[in-house]
Amino acid sequence: MGIMASSVQNPDLSVKIGRIRLKNPVIVASGTFGFGEEYEDFFDLSRLGAIIPKGISLKPMAGNHPPRIFETEGGIINSIGLQNPGFQDFIKDKLPYYKRIRSHLIINFFGNTQKEYVELARRFDEVPEISGLEMNISCPNIRKGGIVFGSNPKMAYHLVRKVRKSTKLTLIVKLSPNVTDIKLMAKSAEDGGADAVSLVNTFKAMAFNIHSRKPELGNLIGGLSGPAIKPIALRMVWEASQAVKIPVIGMGGIMKAEDAIEFILVGASAVQIGSANLVNPRTAIEVIDGIEKYLIQNQIKRVKKLTCLFRPHL
Amino acid sequence: MALQTNGIVLENREIKPLYFLLEIHCPSIATIIRPGQFIMLKVSDNNHPFLRRPFSVYRCYSDDQPDKKKKGNLWVLYKMVGQGTQKMTEFKEGQRVDIIGPLGNGFTLPPLPSSTDIIFVGGGVGIATLSPLAERLAIGKWFVFIGGKTQNDILCSSDFKRLNSNIFIATEDGSLGFKGTVIDLFLSHRKRFKRSESNYLYACGPMGMLRGLARTIRLKQFVCQASLESRMGCGFGACWGCVVKTTDPKIPYQRVCKEGPVFNLKEIVWE
Repeated sequence: MGIMASSVQNPDLSVKIGRIRLKNPVIVASGTFGFGEEYEDFFDLSRLGAIIPKGISLKPMAGNHPPRIFETEGGIINSIGLQNPGFQDFIKDKLPYYKRIRSHLIINFFGNTQKEYVELARRFDEVPEISGLEMNISCPNIRKGGIVFGSNPKMAYHLVRKVRKSTKLTLIVKLSPNVTDIKLMAKSAEDGGADAVSLVNTFKAMAFNIHSRKPELGNLIGGLSGPAIKPIALRMVWEASQAVKIPVIGMGGIMKAEDAIEFILVGASAVQIGSANLVNPRTAIEVIDGIEKYLIQNQIKRVKKLTCLFRPHL
Repeated sequence: MALQTNGIVLENREIKPLYFLLEIHCPSIATIIRPGQFIMLKVSDNNHPFLRRPFSVYRCYSDDQPDKKKKGNLWVLYKMVGQGTQKMTEFKEGQRVDIIGPLGNGFTLPPLPSSTDIIFVGGGVGIATLSPLAERLAIGKWFVFIGGKTQNDILCSSDFKRLNSNIFIATEDGSLGFKGTVIDLFLSHRKRFKRSESNYLYACGPMGMLRGLARTIRLKQFVCQASLESRMGCGFGACWGCVVKTTDPKIPYQRVCKEGPVFNLKEIVWE
């Protein structure tokens, strides 16, 4: 009994990202979780470490021409095209919903120009319900917004610096995997003043129908996500973790707790659940429970200890 | 309210080449789902295929059914067409299946004056979506148009026969009934219907069929509700993958899974 008393029963799952303390390291990824309310039938949203709703732009966006989604081996290619109601309607129609949810709200946002990014960051900074910002410089599905900034380290650095100056909120930069050197991109975000980086967004991909001889997506090209990309995502999260001193949020094909733990072991402080939400809406909850069980089984007091395995400075 | 729950397979039978009838015991969904709503089935235990598959419910038996043995069961009529439905043919009796439902907005059942003409137009397996609706509607003056590529693709005609309706069948190869598409057949009978706004038309089938139908009903002769098919990511409104273009000025791309799958056919923009 004496041994039982000193054993780990309630491991500490909390993690710190910038100025936010998350109750656990599990975040639901932008674009795969709607505006949250779509999931309320399936579980209590207050259990999540944080919620990141669909990306928001200054003005409403209609999105891409369908078909927008195509299933592949172990994943999906999507070309949604960041359809969203825009800043004003988001604040009016969607934000009130989060008031009753005891989970951090992180806003994913993007612009077509540097000015738009700065303007959005400034506006969100004044909204009390919001805990943090995730700036998307990595969407492969629209021509201007994002990827232009996300594939050029110098441009990324200047953009992050400008946005950093216009908000006091915790600032996460979401990185694209469609780059030659992810370390360089992560470092640029860190140098620009980001509190954390999150990666990876989707891999540029396409699919063709040999019977109709037409592309499977209305937009021709989309972004690949799901378990198919996990090994590559894991390698990139490892590389980014080695390149920067700020927290890294890992994602890419996480389907279960074991996948999430892998990302944490290679240096991620937290993880995001993406495509899995679409298939099993309770994935995030199962991952939270699974991480806790793993810590108890291995008698580890804090989830942070796993992150520190290769990142002792954190 | 949508539920994620486990159903138990009771039967999974090939009723004719490529077409299967799946019976699942799933009372929590079977007792609340309405005609036109759908479920998302997880067809495998692993990630292959990755996504769930959407299905409308062909029959569901709730408390008011006389056969108590069937209470809480739902039926899915499906055609084996791809990786997902191929997997489903392997479902065995007693097996658990992960189901999400009921999802989407079903058909609306307005109070119909007895003089109203009610028209059903179903293509292929789409007619299985209309059959439970017919069961719920009051007996009126019905016209049912059923189409398919061949005789093998004509489904549910006996359901409608039982309900005393006028049935018209079209096959593209002429192996049963009228030779041509169900739209051609519908057009050739259009004069039968009164020129009034009060004619109700319910449709379900491939997008090509619905597009053809949309062209023929420009005369404002009908109120038309159509159940749309689309490739779906989640089925419950989270991913915006299944959208269809509509005449809505503010949000042109509407979700088939959430705002639909039943739409006013006149509000769909065909490109």
